[in-house]
Amino acid sequence: MCTAVALPTSELPDIVVEQLIDRVHTRGGEREVRFDWRSVPALLPVWWNGRLQVVKWGNRDRSERKLPPTGWTWRETVEKGKWSAIEPEPVEVPAAYVMTNGVWFRVKQGVRGLLVRTRTGEPVVYLICEPSTRYYRVMTRATWMPVLIDEVI
Amino acid sequence: MTTFVAHLDADCYYVSAERVRHPDLTDKPVGVLGNNGACVIAKSYEMKAHGVKTGTPIWDAAKLCPHGVYVKRDFYWYEVLSRKMLGIVGTFSPRVEYYSVDEFFFEAIPTSHRTDLPGTATKIRDYIREAAGLPVTIGVARTRTLAKLFSDTGKPFGAVAVLTRDHERELLAKMPVTEISGIGGKRADRLAPYGIRTCLDLADADGRLVNKLLTKTGYEIWLELNGTPVMPIRPERPPHQVLARGGSLMGNVDDPKLLWAWCVRHVERLIEELRYHNVRTTTLAIQLDWKDGTGTGGTTSMPVPTDRFDDLLDAARTSLRRAYIPGATATHMHVMATELRRAKGFQLSLFDAPDPKKEKLAATKHAINEKFGRFKVRSAATLYLPAVYRDPANDFDICDIRGKVCF
Ligand SMILES: [Mg+2]
Repeated sequence: MCTAVALPTSELPDIVVEQLIDRVHTRGGEREVRFDWRSVPALLPVWWNGRLQVVKWGNRDRSERKLPPTGWTWRETVEKGKWSAIEPEPVEVPAAYVMTNGVWFRVKQGVRGLLVRTRTGEPVVYLICEPSTRYYRVMTRATWMPVLIDEVI
Repeated sequence: MTTFVAHLDADCYYVSAERVRHPDLTDKPVGVLGNNGACVIAKSYEMKAHGVKTGTPIWDAAKLCPHGVYVKRDFYWYEVLSRKMLGIVGTFSPRVEYYSVDEFFFEAIPTSHRTDLPGTATKIRDYIREAAGLPVTIGVARTRTLAKLFSDTGKPFGAVAVLTRDHERELLAKMPVTEISGIGGKRADRLAPYGIRTCLDLADADGRLVNKLLTKTGYEIWLELNGTPVMPIRPERPPHQVLARGGSLMGNVDDPKLLWAWCVRHVERLIEELRYHNVRTTTLAIQLDWKDGTGTGGTTSMPVPTDRFDDLLDAARTSLRRAYIPGATATHMHVMATELRRAKGFQLSLFDAPDPKKEKLAATKHAINEKFGRFKVRSAATLYLPAVYRDPANDFDICDIRGKVCF
């Protein structure tokens, strides 16, 4: 399961970077924001309503009774329409690097996500997963992989 | 007039090739993963500094270098860039040997009457950086062995031209003899009792002694260390002894139909390879690894060297039958051409007239595959393999880059 995504600060609005300054890390001289599932609160960048925004990742703190208390959903679940009652929106989660089980790997654009609203209308995003390819499974030891945008690893 | 040899070696080639298309990877610790995603097959200098080596399992690498970024290998891209680099070098020299995907030897010729060889080496290096985006190191010297030694020790992004004996001696004195490829621990141990520790020690040793200790190969290295060229630049590589295609069956296979489908696929890939090297074969061998750790093989000979699909498929059928164990579970398969001949000028057997119709069909198939991508036209037998052909994670291949070992 993918537990963190990283995006260079240059791809985020300055104001967002400032708000997330404690999540800024440097890798090889380049600054990036790491969106980690273990951070409190867990957040993710999403392209939503034509803007890059940072929204809550999943429902780990179980603050929403109606949403699953995780940060992921399965492609199959989405395609079967199991989320349709709460009007989900497919969104793109931009990322340069994605981490699974301690292994960071480069992605071309990012990961597909599903955005839903809380009762009060706040956006919450779940990452969409599918069964790992053999390659991905060997690389990360994970049986599920994020659905990447326009690529397969 | 002395002619000089240049050795060009791309710096951490696979990583550099990834950086050409993904500039954000520049300056970051980067590891390229092999065919299964299990091992690092190339690492950047930043990752190397953390102790990650070629062959390090990804799990150890991720611990040694937690912020390292991994990418999946793309041999097709590496081959494309390699050809581009070869093309560039070809504009600077009439004689270029394609030694491996990221290493060439070529005759060093000053780019103009005002440019000396050190200037030329720098110019070519900078031009490749500019035009292909790749950092390379170039060593120029009187022989191949010297040129390779000086480029190996000039890394990264070096341009070294060593033109005089004094300069050679100065550098050779600083290099342990193990820097010479082929002189590993065992051979170095043989030299140590004679006080031969540096490359200069070896160059200054008695040639007859070197011949005795390291045989003819060592003696040739000795000659080259002393500036006598023994190994010429070969613009065309001599044919390989063996060409093989194959690898893991991506799981356990006991269905003979599926085994045959894999076999057909490997035969098709082998034919690509035969064509690439412009060789044909008179034998086709199949090797199977079984789940219990044992292996079996079968070989079939053909009367005439061939690279034709129908001939090789007939041979493969027989070879597979010989290697096959009914009911057993296979894990790996290799299809090998073990007797290679140059494609032009081979002897036709008296009893085998060429078959122009079949030749033509094979050529057409080859042409279509060239034009529209690999395996667009393929044997119906491989239809049992939809999972492999359709797996988007495998759109270029399981394991094959020419001249390199894969994991
Ligand atoms: Mg190299």
